[in-house]
Amino acid sequence: MSDPTVAEQWVSGPLTRLKDDARLISGVLLYPSGRAVGQFGFSNAADVMSICALTSAINASARELGRQLDGKPFYEMHHAGAQRQVFMARASAGAQEFLFVGVFDRESSFGVVEIYFAEFQKALEKLHPQKVVAGAGPSGDFEGELNRSLDALFGPIGKR
Amino acid sequence: MKALAPVVANLARVAGVVVAMVVGATDGLIVETSTVMGMAPGDADPRKPTAALAAYLYTKVIRASDAARLGTPAFMRLEAERGHIFVVGARDIVFVTIVTTDANLGRVRLEMMNAAKDHS
Repeated sequence: MSDPTVAEQWVSGPLTRLKDDARLISGVLLYPSGRAVGQFGFSNAADVMSICALTSAINASARELGRQLDGKPFYEMHHAGAQRQVFMARASAGAQEFLFVGVFDRESSFGVVEIYFAEFQKALEKLHPQKVVAGAGPSGDFEGELNRSLDALFGPIGKR
Repeated sequence: MKALAPVVANLARVAGVVVAMVVGATDGLIVETSTVMGMAPGDADPRKPTAALAAYLYTKVIRASDAARLGTPAFMRLEAERGHIFVVGARDIVFVTIVTTDANLGRVRLEMMNAAKDHS
Protein backbone atom coordinates (compact mmCIF):
# COMPACT_ATOMS: atom_id res chain seq x y z
CA MET A 1 0.00 0.00 0.00
CA SER A 2 1.42 3.40 -0.97
CA ASP A 3 2.39 6.08 1.54
CA PRO A 4 0.26 9.22 1.67
CA THR A 5 1.04 12.09 -0.66
CA VAL A 6 0.47 15.41 1.05
CA ALA A 7 0.14 19.06 0.18
CA GLU A 8 1.10 19.98 3.75
CA GLN A 9 3.93 17.96 5.24
CA TRP A 10 2.75 18.05 8.85
CA VAL A 11 -0.23 15.77 8.09
CA SER A 12 1.96 13.01 6.64
CA GLY A 13 2.73 11.27 9.96
CA PRO A 14 -0.83 11.23 11.31
CA LEU A 15 -2.23 10.13 7.94
CA THR A 16 0.27 7.27 7.69
CA ARG A 17 -0.58 6.07 11.19
CA LEU A 18 -4.32 6.28 10.52
CA LYS A 19 -3.93 4.33 7.28
CA ASP A 20 -1.84 1.61 8.93
CA ASP A 21 -3.65 1.33 12.26
CA ALA A 22 -7.19 1.44 10.89
CA ARG A 23 -6.23 -0.69 7.88
CA LEU A 24 -7.79 1.74 5.45
CA ILE A 25 -7.66 1.03 1.74
CA SER A 26 -7.79 4.67 0.70
CA GLY A 27 -8.45 8.05 2.22
CA VAL A 28 -8.43 11.77 1.60
CA LEU A 29 -7.97 14.62 4.07
CA LEU A 30 -9.33 17.90 2.83
CA TYR A 31 -10.52 21.32 3.86
CA PRO A 32 -14.29 21.80 3.91
CA SER A 33 -13.81 24.01 0.84
CA GLY A 34 -12.82 20.90 -1.11
CA ARG A 35 -9.10 21.57 -1.20
CA ALA A 36 -7.13 18.34 -0.69
CA VAL A 37 -4.50 18.24 2.05
CA GLY A 38 -3.36 14.64 1.73
CA GLN A 39 -4.37 11.31 0.28
CA PHE A 40 -3.42 7.66 0.12
CA GLY A 41 -4.63 4.79 -2.01
CA PHE A 42 -5.25 6.83 -5.15
CA SER A 43 -3.02 7.12 -8.18
CA ASN A 44 -5.35 9.25 -10.23
CA ALA A 45 -5.85 12.97 -9.58
CA ALA A 46 -9.30 12.86 -11.18
CA ASP A 47 -10.50 10.37 -8.54
CA VAL A 48 -9.27 12.59 -5.73
CA MET A 49 -10.87 15.61 -7.40
CA SER A 50 -14.24 13.82 -7.54
CA ILE A 51 -13.94 12.65 -3.94
CA CYS A 52 -13.05 16.12 -2.68
CA ALA A 53 -15.96 17.70 -4.51
CA LEU A 54 -18.40 15.03 -3.33
CA THR A 55 -17.14 14.99 0.27
CA SER A 56 -17.37 18.75 0.47
CA ALA A 57 -20.93 18.66 -0.86
CA ILE A 58 -21.96 15.72 1.34
CA ASN A 59 -20.53 17.46 4.40
CA ALA A 60 -22.49 20.63 3.65
CA SER A 61 -25.69 18.60 3.10
CA ALA A 62 -25.17 16.46 6.21
CA ARG A 63 -24.63 19.51 8.36
CA GLU A 64 -27.81 21.10 7.17
CA LEU A 65 -29.70 17.82 7.45
CA GLY A 66 -28.46 17.46 11.02
CA ARG A 67 -29.55 20.97 11.85
CA GLN A 68 -33.00 20.33 10.40
CA LEU A 69 -33.50 16.94 12.04
CA ASP A 70 -31.54 17.11 15.25
CA GLY A 71 -30.88 20.78 15.87
CA LYS A 72 -27.14 20.26 15.40
CA PRO A 73 -24.94 19.33 12.43
CA PHE A 74 -24.07 15.71 11.64
CA TYR A 75 -20.30 15.43 11.73
CA GLU A 76 -19.73 11.74 11.09
CA MET A 77 -21.12 9.42 8.46
CA HIS A 78 -20.71 5.74 7.76
CA HIS A 79 -21.96 3.80 4.80
CA ALA A 80 -21.59 0.03 4.77
CA GLY A 81 -21.55 -1.41 1.29
CA ALA A 82 -21.52 -5.08 0.39
CA GLN A 83 -17.74 -5.28 0.15
CA ARG A 84 -16.40 -1.90 1.19
CA GLN A 85 -17.41 0.75 3.68
CA VAL A 86 -17.02 4.51 3.70
CA PHE A 87 -16.28 6.56 6.79
CA MET A 88 -16.54 10.32 6.63
CA ALA A 89 -15.87 12.65 9.54
CA ARG A 90 -14.82 16.09 10.60
CA ALA A 91 -11.53 16.74 12.34
CA SER A 92 -10.49 20.02 13.85
CA ALA A 93 -7.11 21.42 14.73
CA GLY A 94 -7.23 24.72 16.52
CA ALA A 95 -9.70 26.88 14.65
CA GLN A 96 -9.08 24.98 11.43
CA GLU A 97 -11.54 22.36 10.32
CA PHE A 98 -10.76 19.36 8.11
CA LEU A 99 -12.81 16.61 6.53
CA PHE A 100 -11.64 13.06 6.18
CA VAL A 101 -13.07 10.33 4.03
CA GLY A 102 -11.72 6.78 4.21
CA VAL A 103 -12.56 3.43 2.66
CA PHE A 104 -12.12 0.08 4.38
CA ASP A 105 -13.21 -3.51 3.94
CA ARG A 106 -13.58 -6.59 6.11
CA GLU A 107 -9.95 -6.32 7.17
CA SER A 108 -11.08 -3.52 9.46
CA SER A 109 -14.30 -2.46 11.17
CA PHE A 110 -16.24 0.72 11.80
CA GLY A 111 -15.37 0.54 15.50
CA VAL A 112 -11.67 0.21 14.79
CA VAL A 113 -11.73 3.09 12.29
CA GLU A 114 -13.53 5.29 14.83
CA ILE A 115 -10.93 4.52 17.50
CA TYR A 116 -7.97 5.37 15.31
CA PHE A 117 -9.70 8.38 13.80
CA ALA A 118 -10.03 9.79 17.33
CA GLU A 119 -6.25 9.36 17.74
CA PHE A 120 -5.68 10.95 14.34
CA GLN A 121 -7.75 13.92 15.39
CA LYS A 122 -5.66 14.34 18.55
CA ALA A 123 -2.48 14.16 16.46
CA LEU A 124 -3.78 16.86 14.12
CA GLU A 125 -4.62 19.04 17.08
CA LYS A 126 -1.12 18.56 18.48
CA LEU A 127 0.84 19.02 15.27
CA HIS A 128 -1.19 21.71 13.58
CA PRO A 129 1.05 24.70 12.82
CA GLN A 130 -0.06 27.79 14.67
CA LYS A 131 -0.02 30.01 11.62
CA VAL A 132 -3.17 29.87 9.52
CA VAL A 133 -2.62 28.06 6.25
CA ALA A 134 -3.20 30.50 3.43
CA GLY A 135 -6.34 29.79 1.47
CA ALA A 136 -7.68 27.15 3.85
CA GLY A 137 -11.05 28.83 3.99
CA PRO A 138 -13.36 29.10 1.00
CA SER A 139 -12.19 31.79 -1.40
CA GLY A 140 -15.00 31.38 -3.89
CA ASP A 141 -12.60 29.86 -6.40
CA PHE A 142 -13.55 26.25 -5.74
CA GLU A 143 -12.15 24.83 -8.96
CA GLY A 144 -8.89 26.78 -8.67
CA GLU A 145 -8.34 25.65 -5.08
CA LEU A 146 -9.06 22.06 -5.99
CA ASN A 147 -6.67 22.11 -8.93
CA ARG A 148 -3.89 23.71 -6.90
CA SER A 149 -4.19 21.07 -4.19
CA LEU A 150 -4.20 18.27 -6.78
CA ASP A 151 -1.05 19.76 -8.33
CA ALA A 152 0.54 19.56 -4.91
CA LEU A 153 -0.45 15.90 -4.49
CA PHE A 154 0.12 14.52 -7.98
CA GLY A 155 2.25 17.16 -9.73
CA PRO A 156 1.08 19.64 -12.36
CA ILE A 157 -1.06 18.40 -15.26
CA GLY A 158 1.19 17.01 -17.99
CA LYS A 159 3.72 15.77 -15.44
CA ARG A 160 1.31 13.38 -13.63
CA MET B 1 -33.17 -13.70 20.99
CA LYS B 2 -33.26 -12.85 24.68
CA ALA B 3 -32.86 -9.27 25.81
CA LEU B 4 -29.22 -8.32 26.17
CA ALA B 5 -29.41 -5.90 29.10
CA PRO B 6 -30.10 -8.63 31.72
CA VAL B 7 -27.26 -10.74 30.28
CA VAL B 8 -24.82 -7.85 30.66
CA ALA B 9 -26.11 -7.11 34.16
CA ASN B 10 -25.70 -10.78 35.10
CA LEU B 11 -22.13 -10.92 33.78
CA ALA B 12 -21.22 -7.67 35.49
CA ARG B 13 -22.35 -9.08 38.84
CA VAL B 14 -19.74 -11.85 38.76
CA ALA B 15 -16.90 -11.03 41.15
CA GLY B 16 -13.86 -9.67 39.35
CA VAL B 17 -15.68 -8.51 36.23
CA VAL B 18 -14.68 -4.89 35.64
CA VAL B 19 -17.03 -4.38 32.72
CA ALA B 20 -19.25 -6.60 30.57
CA MET B 21 -20.28 -5.66 27.06
CA VAL B 22 -22.19 -6.97 24.09
CA VAL B 23 -20.50 -5.83 20.89
CA GLY B 24 -21.35 -6.06 17.20
CA ALA B 25 -19.18 -8.83 15.76
CA THR B 26 -18.49 -7.11 12.44
CA ASP B 27 -18.57 -3.40 13.32
CA GLY B 28 -17.08 -3.54 16.83
CA LEU B 29 -19.67 -1.12 18.19
CA ILE B 30 -21.10 -1.49 21.68
CA VAL B 31 -24.66 -2.82 21.73
CA GLU B 32 -25.06 -3.08 25.50
CA THR B 33 -22.67 -2.36 28.33
CA SER B 34 -22.40 -2.32 32.09
CA THR B 35 -20.76 0.50 34.00
CA VAL B 36 -17.02 0.24 34.61
CA MET B 37 -16.25 -0.94 38.14
CA GLY B 38 -13.81 1.27 40.00
CA MET B 39 -13.54 3.92 37.31
CA ALA B 40 -12.73 7.27 38.89
CA PRO B 41 -14.14 10.51 37.49
CA GLY B 42 -11.78 11.79 34.82
CA ASP B 43 -10.42 8.34 33.97
CA ALA B 44 -10.40 7.40 30.31
CA ASP B 45 -13.33 5.12 29.54
CA PRO B 46 -11.89 1.80 28.34
CA ARG B 47 -15.12 0.46 26.85
CA LYS B 48 -15.22 1.81 23.30
CA PRO B 49 -11.62 0.98 22.30
CA THR B 50 -11.73 -2.36 24.11
CA ALA B 51 -14.97 -3.33 22.39
CA ALA B 52 -13.76 -2.36 18.93
CA LEU B 53 -10.35 -3.98 19.24
CA ALA B 54 -11.55 -7.13 21.03
CA ALA B 55 -14.20 -7.74 18.36
CA TYR B 56 -11.58 -7.11 15.67
CA LEU B 57 -9.15 -9.48 17.35
CA TYR B 58 -11.86 -12.11 17.61
CA THR B 59 -12.39 -11.99 13.82
CA LYS B 60 -8.67 -12.71 13.43
CA VAL B 61 -8.88 -15.55 15.95
CA ILE B 62 -11.71 -17.06 13.91
CA ARG B 63 -9.45 -16.97 10.84
CA ALA B 64 -6.50 -18.40 12.72
CA SER B 65 -8.63 -21.19 14.12
CA ASP B 66 -10.00 -21.91 10.67
CA ALA B 67 -6.51 -21.88 9.15
CA ALA B 68 -5.40 -24.36 11.80
CA ARG B 69 -8.43 -26.52 10.92
CA LEU B 70 -9.75 -26.24 14.46
CA GLY B 71 -13.22 -25.02 13.56
CA THR B 72 -15.04 -22.15 15.25
CA PRO B 73 -13.32 -20.81 18.35
CA ALA B 74 -15.40 -21.30 21.49
CA PHE B 75 -13.69 -18.87 23.81
CA MET B 76 -10.88 -16.32 23.71
CA ARG B 77 -8.88 -15.27 26.77
CA LEU B 78 -6.24 -12.58 26.58
CA GLU B 79 -4.07 -12.57 29.66
CA ALA B 80 -2.33 -9.29 30.45
CA GLU B 81 -0.27 -7.91 33.31
CA ARG B 82 -3.21 -6.52 35.24
CA GLY B 83 -6.11 -8.66 34.12
CA HIS B 84 -7.82 -10.48 31.31
CA ILE B 85 -10.07 -9.83 28.37
CA PHE B 86 -12.57 -12.59 27.63
CA VAL B 87 -14.42 -12.81 24.33
CA VAL B 88 -17.12 -15.26 23.28
CA GLY B 89 -18.91 -15.11 19.94
CA ALA B 90 -22.61 -15.69 19.40
CA ARG B 91 -23.55 -15.21 15.73
CA ASP B 92 -23.73 -11.46 15.06
CA ILE B 93 -22.52 -10.38 18.48
CA VAL B 94 -19.61 -11.02 20.79
CA PHE B 95 -19.61 -10.90 24.57
CA VAL B 96 -16.60 -9.05 25.93
CA THR B 97 -15.53 -8.75 29.55
CA ILE B 98 -12.58 -7.13 31.24
CA VAL B 99 -11.68 -9.19 34.28
CA THR B 100 -9.28 -8.67 37.19
CA THR B 101 -6.43 -11.11 37.85
CA ASP B 102 -7.99 -12.37 41.09
CA ALA B 103 -11.40 -13.12 39.57
CA ASN B 104 -12.90 -16.58 39.46
CA LEU B 105 -12.03 -17.11 35.80
CA GLY B 106 -13.92 -20.39 35.59
CA ARG B 107 -17.12 -18.74 36.78
CA VAL B 108 -16.76 -15.84 34.34
CA ARG B 109 -16.05 -18.25 31.50
CA LEU B 110 -19.07 -20.38 32.37
CA GLU B 111 -21.41 -17.38 32.55
CA MET B 112 -20.15 -16.10 29.21
CA MET B 113 -20.45 -19.48 27.52
CA ASN B 114 -24.02 -19.80 28.82
CA ALA B 115 -24.86 -16.33 27.56
CA ALA B 116 -23.42 -17.16 24.15
CA LYS B 117 -25.36 -20.44 24.02
CA ASP B 118 -28.60 -18.61 24.81
CA HIS B 119 -27.95 -16.18 21.95
CA SER B 120 -26.74 -18.57 19.28
